[in-house]
This record gives sequence, structure tokens and C-alpha cells, in this order.
Amino acid sequence: MSSIINIQHLSKTYTEKGSDIRSTALDDITLAIESGDFVAIAGPSGSGKTTLLNIIGALDTPTSGEVVVDGTVLSSLNRARLAEFRLRKIGFVFQAYNLVSTLTAMENTEYVALLQGISNKRRRHEAYQVLKDLGLENFINRRPSELSGGQQQRVAIARAILAQPKLVLADEPTANLDSKTGSDLIDLMKTMGQTLGITFIFATHDKMVMDKAKTLIQLHDGKITG
Amino acid sequence: MSTFIKIAWRNIARSPARSFITVSAIAIGLSSLIFLKGFVNGADQQMAENYTDLLIGHIQIHKIGFQKSMSIEKSMGGFGTILDTLRKNPKVTAFSERVKDFALISSPESSAGILLLGVDPVSELKVSTIHKRIRKGEFLKKEDHDKILIGAQLSDNLKAGLGDKVVIMSQASDGSVAAAAYEVTGIIDAGAEEIDKGLAMITLKAAQDLLVLDGKISEIVVKSGSLNEVDATTMFLKEKINQTKFEVLNWKEISPQVYQWLQFDAVFTSLILFIVLLVVATGILNTILMAVLERTREFGIMLALGTKPGQVVLTVAAESFFLGMIGTFIGALLGTCLVIFFGTKGIDLTVISSALNSLYYDSIIYPRLDFINIGIYSLIVLAVSIIISIIPALKASRLSPIEAIRHI
Repeated sequence: MSSIINIQHLSKTYTEKGSDIRSTALDDITLAIESGDFVAIAGPSGSGKTTLLNIIGALDTPTSGEVVVDGTVLSSLNRARLAEFRLRKIGFVFQAYNLVSTLTAMENTEYVALLQGISNKRRRHEAYQVLKDLGLENFINRRPSELSGGQQQRVAIARAILAQPKLVLADEPTANLDSKTGSDLIDLMKTMGQTLGITFIFATHDKMVMDKAKTLIQLHDGKITG
Repeated sequence: MSTFIKIAWRNIARSPARSFITVSAIAIGLSSLIFLKGFVNGADQQMAENYTDLLIGHIQIHKIGFQKSMSIEKSMGGFGTILDTLRKNPKVTAFSERVKDFALISSPESSAGILLLGVDPVSELKVSTIHKRIRKGEFLKKEDHDKILIGAQLSDNLKAGLGDKVVIMSQASDGSVAAAAYEVTGIIDAGAEEIDKGLAMITLKAAQDLLVLDGKISEIVVKSGSLNEVDATTMFLKEKINQTKFEVLNWKEISPQVYQWLQFDAVFTSLILFIVLLVVATGILNTILMAVLERTREFGIMLALGTKPGQVVLTVAAESFFLGMIGTFIGALLGTCLVIFFGTKGIDLTVISSALNSLYYDSIIYPRLDFINIGIYSLIVLAVSIIISIIPALKASRLSPIEAIRHI
């Protein structure tokens, strides 16, 4: 199987504003992730999980090293092309769900597909289908404030996968959910990954997620330890 | 409806208090603009009407050069064709002939320099309202060739009241000394110093006889339908009347200082309006900035998902447009209602009536509705509410997705 992600000697250092104090978030990471894999990046708080995810997701830039995602060298893209890259290739599931509060579950699900320019009819049909698959067909017209945490996270997953990305990045997707809902959600994503051939990468410190992952990457102080 | 427009529209309901404050700021600002402009328009229009109605009329026709020299030598004869032209023009509602000369008035007690006006007692009633300002006595009648009206202050200075005799002296058109005695039959109290202190009025025939004018006159005073028609009527008369022999002047040309005062008033009002507009713009900017700050995280998510900066700008600008539309509609309605209400009822300023009257303003001001101004101000306020939103919109579109998502 081919690698969807190739990372060579990736480092990321932050400098505090107004001072010379520097902190290293990632330190010389070299890594390859196979296409279709179900990966958990684990480690304690401050180990660099979210930073690694942000760089893979083209939301942040490395201080040094090279990141290639689906054959694209991210450092070669400007801000606008990075946005376009995220739109076409990456799906995001955030810890705090992060749905657009004024849009309904259906409209939130359609959002990325809308940005991609998918026709109205096809978008609505597919969005309904995905929400139905996720057991949300009775909640399509509800706004985020009218949904439970688990339901919101499922809408976020629906939004991420509807656009058929190559890669879904999920930052602590179960952190705000009870263990049963979290476990169901991970199973759901695993099934979808297998069905749709999407690579899932999670940043997590949830043991349940680590156990369900096909590949586990351990980070500590910005270095891969296992 | 575009998703971005939908987000913008729904955001208005998301924070009702913020939206209410923004809409109120726009509505109160716009209604203030409309009311203020209506008030100033009403006051200025009344002032211009009072000024022209009192004595000078809308248009005056003289022999060329008269306005500059005010000399009896510039009296005009052969004006029959001018009278025909005035009779045929439907926009001319009335006209009257006058003799005008500087003279000396004397009583047994004192004497003073005055402007002597010879008027036709019948037609003068249609071109001026000076007859309504007779405080004592009565206006001249057709045959009152030995009677005179004098200003109230002049009467005090001369110590000449009703029934007293005064003597007018001037130089006749043939170079002889013109002098005659008249009985004071009315005291004029116009509230304007130049009239009350320096005007005397006799019949046209009496003036022509005194100054040996042989049927000549100094001016024809013309009244047009309304002040708004004066420019068109002036232009028409200038085309029809021989400009090499006669001068056709409207009230703005006769009294440029009054016209300039009104223009200054308009500029000053515009300045106030501009300040009000700035306050409105600042209010809008403040609330939209707050709205953007409140939704930093949401904009971060939108940008992270691949939303183009232009689409974020559209979302913020559309929200501002909707708020602007609602505020403008309410403001225009409220402003119009205020102008209509006070335009009917009037705003009573009698506590400062003496100051107002000396400047030809009425004591009760009636604001006037001007739909063109309401349209212009509404468009300006709406445009400002959209343009001002560009600043927070650009701020939102330039957010770093990661920092914005971390924003609490």
C-alpha cells in the first residue's frame, strides 16, 4: 500500500511574542502513513499531537523539514492554495465539534461540499444519506444548540466525510463525549474509513481510541517514542 | 439563498440585543438626520418666503444699472411690452410698479434719511405683505396721494405719529428740488430694522409727481407661483425682455447676502449631518466589530474548512447590510413621521421670537418633508453601514484558522 503522508525531519518551534523564549513542539519527526490507515497519535498534553495534526492538515507550517500529503509538498503552497488543498483533500473533526451555530445539521453537513461546488441536488441527497447512515435523519433541521454532544460530533464527521477527502484529521474527537458514545463514534469512523477508503488520523490520549487504532504513534516532548 | 447570506441573516437573530442596538443606532441616527434637515428646510424656506413676501418680491425688473446706482435718473419708461410679457406668463401670479428713491424726511422735531417707496396701493397688496405689518393706522388707499406710511422706529425718531405732517425732500428727475408734505396715516412694524427705521411709503402717483417722473417708474416687482419657480421664471423673463435696456433680477441677485446666509446655513447643516453620520458609522463599526470578535472561533472553523476570505467578507458585509436595511427602513419611517407630525403642529419658538423675526424667521417653525433628501440620506446611511463593515470583515477574513479556533 502507498503512503499518503511522508514526513521528513519535521520540527516546529514557537517563539513567545515579545520575548526570545522558544519552545519546541516537534523535534525532528520522520514518519510515513499508509493510505486507508486508521492512526492514533497518542501522548500527554503538550507532547505535540495537535501541532503535528495541524501541520499535516495544512493549518500550520513547520519550522523545518518537509511534509508531503497525497503527493503535494505543503511548503510549496501559498495561503490561498493551502486553503484550497484543505478544502479538496482534508476533512476535519475538532474536539469541540465546531459546527456553524446558525446552520442546521443538514446545512452544516453540506457546508464543505458547498464550498467544493457540488451541485445543490447532489449535495442535499448525499448529505441526507450520510446523516441517515449516522442515525441523524430525524435531526436534520436542528441547529447545533438543539443537538447532544454525540450528535454534534456525528454531524461534524458527516461534514468531514461528505466531501470525500483523502484524509480525515480528528483532534481529540471523543474528549467531550461519554465513553459509550465515544466508542460508538470511533467504530463508526473505522467502518467509514474501511468503506470509503479514507485515512483517519486521531490525536488522542483516550486509551479506548488507542486500542481501536490500527497504527499507534506515541509522541513525547515532540519526539516519536513508539 | 446562498449559505453565506443565510448565515448572515440568521446571525441577526442569534444575538437579538446586539442587533437591536445596531438597528436602533442606525434608525435613530437616520431619523435625526431627516428631522434635522426637515427642520432646517422648513425654517429656511419660511425665512426666504417671509423675506421675499414682505417687500422685495421674487423678481424685480429695472432699467439697466438701477440696482447698482438706485438713482432716479435710471427710472424707466416704455415698459408696456414688459407688462404684456408678464401678463402672458402663467408662472407670474402678480406684479406691481414702484418708484424708489433716497430722500430726506423731516418732522418739526427731527429729520432722517430714508428709502422712499411709491407704490400702487391696489396691486402692491398682491406682491408684498407689508400691508399686514401696519401697527397703527391703515395701508394706503388708491386716492391717498397726500398720505404717507412710515416705519415704527422712524416714527419714534421723528416723534411723528398718526395725523402728523412730515415733509419729504429729494432731487427731482429734472434737477429741481422735490419737496412735499404728507400726513402720516400708518405706522409700519415689520420687525426688520432697515424697514422700521428707514422706510417711508407713498402712492405711486404721489411719488411720480414729487420726483417729476412723467409716468416713469423705478421697478416692476414680480411674484412667481412659489420660490421653487423663481429661477425658471427669471430665466424666461431674461429671454423675453431686452437685456440691453432692462435688468431682470431675482431675489438671490437682489439680496445676495440673504441668499448666502441660507447657503451658509445649508453648509452648516451639512456639517452637523456629517457629524451625526460619523456617530452612526462609529456605532455600526463598534457593533459589527463586537459581532466579529464574538464569532472569531466560527470564522476560524470556516477558514480551516476551506472557506475563501472573500466568502467570509461577504458573510460579514451581508449581515451589516441586513442590519442597515432594517435600521434604514425604520429610521426613514420614523424621520418621515416626525417631520409630518411637527410639519402640521409646528415647533413653537416664541421664546426667541424677537431674534428669529429680525432674521425673517417665523416664531413657529414647520419642518418640511423632502423625499429626495430622505432618499439620499437613507442611501448614504445604508452605504455607510455596508462600507464600514468592510473593516471588521477584512479582519475576520485575515484570521489565522488555528489561532481563531483556539479563541474562546
